[in-house]
Amino acid sequence: MSDDNDFLRVTDVSKWYGDEKVLEDVSFEMDRGDVTVLIGPSGSGKSTMLRCVNRLAEAQEGSILLDGEEVLSPDLDVDELRREVGMVFQGFNLFAHLTAVGNVALGPRRVLGLSETEARERAEAQLERVGLGEQFDSYPAELSGGQQQRVGIARALAMEPKLMLFDEPTSALDPELIGEVLEVMHGLVDEGMTMLVVTHEMSFAREVADEIVFLDDGRVVERGPPEQLFDRPEEERTGRFLERIASHD
Amino acid sequence: MASATRPAAVRERVADADRSVGRLLLVAAGALFWGWLVVSWVNRWLGGVIVPVGQPLVPPGAVEATFGAIPGLAAYAADAAFVVELTPELSRGTWLTVVITAVSLFVGFLMAVPLAVSRVYGRFSAWISLGYTELLRGTPLLAQLFVLYYGLNLASYVPGAFSGVFARDVVWVAIVGFTLNGAAYQAEYIRGALESVEEGQITAGRAIGLSKLETIYYVVLPQGLRYAIPSWTNEFVYLIKYSSLAAFITVPELYYRADQIASETFRYTLIFVVTGVTYLALVLTASKLMEGVEDRVAIPGLGAEREE
Ligand SMILES: Nc1ncnc2c1ncn2[C@@H]1O[C@H](COP(=O)(O)OP(=O)(O)OP(=O)(O)O)[C@@H](O)[C@H]1O
Ligand SMILES: [Mg+2]
Repeated sequence: MSDDNDFLRVTDVSKWYGDEKVLEDVSFEMDRGDVTVLIGPSGSGKSTMLRCVNRLAEAQEGSILLDGEEVLSPDLDVDELRREVGMVFQGFNLFAHLTAVGNVALGPRRVLGLSETEARERAEAQLERVGLGEQFDSYPAELSGGQQQRVGIARALAMEPKLMLFDEPTSALDPELIGEVLEVMHGLVDEGMTMLVVTHEMSFAREVADEIVFLDDGRVVERGPPEQLFDRPEEERTGRFLERIASHD
Repeated sequence: MASATRPAAVRERVADADRSVGRLLLVAAGALFWGWLVVSWVNRWLGGVIVPVGQPLVPPGAVEATFGAIPGLAAYAADAAFVVELTPELSRGTWLTVVITAVSLFVGFLMAVPLAVSRVYGRFSAWISLGYTELLRGTPLLAQLFVLYYGLNLASYVPGAFSGVFARDVVWVAIVGFTLNGAAYQAEYIRGALESVEEGQITAGRAIGLSKLETIYYVVLPQGLRYAIPSWTNEFVYLIKYSSLAAFITVPELYYRADQIASETFRYTLIFVVTGVTYLALVLTASKLMEGVEDRVAIPGLGAEREE
């Protein structure tokens, strides 16, 4: 399955928190423009896997090659890596003291070194892109959950990342607000963004994913294109997990 | 329904009126107090352009006559004149109290922020910060002043540029003492506030490529310092009052001068009531000032929204 042109290649990644092994020999790979969806029960290591990719968590073993560069190398400039990898959080994590524009502009201004005006212009453009042209100067507390998450996406996009990580971007949202966030994500897929997504939105996954990776207990149980994994799972555990998810909807 | 709501509405309006009368009185008293102080100070700096240096702004005799002419106040005429006679000394003392408090608080703040940041986010530096704050908070302030003044004889080391700024160089010793001590307390308040900034804020900062220090500077501090304002105001108020300990190392601030006059005139009660009122006015000014600051920097959804 893997070849030398893989854009992201995760190979045998293992991670421990103390004595607890939370990732065990996880492997998968993505081409540029691919969408990979990670699914799995709570505590299976999905968030940890994402966080290893931008080094918010440190994997102790294995290799993560991004565009040919070893992410896990101790010599890697971690801040440089994070400039190129955007992340969207389940709880939004918007900077509470900054307006929507302030949230999006902070990275371009302080990390990329754009001028105040350039950073603001870029922030406004990104907010327009996620449909928040009217909310430039609202503070997070003044926005709905769906709007907050869209600001979160705009904040990541403003760094012009080559890979986007989404950690359950809609799990904290009221059902009626999920659609607007998924719509923005759909837009990104159409634009050809490379996306690694943790989500329980199975219909979204089925529509956009090139590959589904099912994690359980820190291990890849099964992976494959959505049609195969959803309709003809090979592993019993996969089937049971999908049934459980389906019965929740 | 209407009859039930009306009395409540009326009550509210009366309460509103009471409150605005109270506010008006407070503002008037504040204006009188600060007007008197500032005019007294300017008069002294400019060498007595309004009244000769050392003289009250209004003649005690005139005050005594005015009080004497008002039935019911006549009995207090002599006391009023006596208080007016004290005002030049009190205003001089208050000047030092204000300066010592303001400078110590400001420099202490500049020390407290890195102390608090080290304490929360540092490794080795967290221990240094902890040691510093526990030492300074765990020993009596007066003992600290004595160590600086008697033990280290700090007054004799005041550098040339700073010497002569105040009537006595020992003022600098007090400023150093209150700064070092206040920094420890301020650091403690700021530490508590930094700890209440959500972990996710830091994660988000790191995720867009800010370094740890940048995240602290651009994300944690703007939030944490806002959270810290109410408790930090306590330290401001305490410092105003604790600055009176400077009297014990012969700094001629408000308390020192009051004590001197009292022991010369034996009018202890009157003098310390007036002095107490002066401290109260300073303390009220400080807390009103900080309320204003808090309102100005308030951000929707950040921290507890204060009841109007
Ligand atoms: N910072 C941490 N310190 C210690 N253990 C952790 C830490 N973060 C996660 N874990 C543990 O690692 C395991 C995997 O957690 P992770 O958050 O990656 O799971 P997840 O699949 O994202 O679950 P969820 O669906 O609940 O978000 C869990 O057992 C969790 O308790
Ligand atoms: Mg998770």
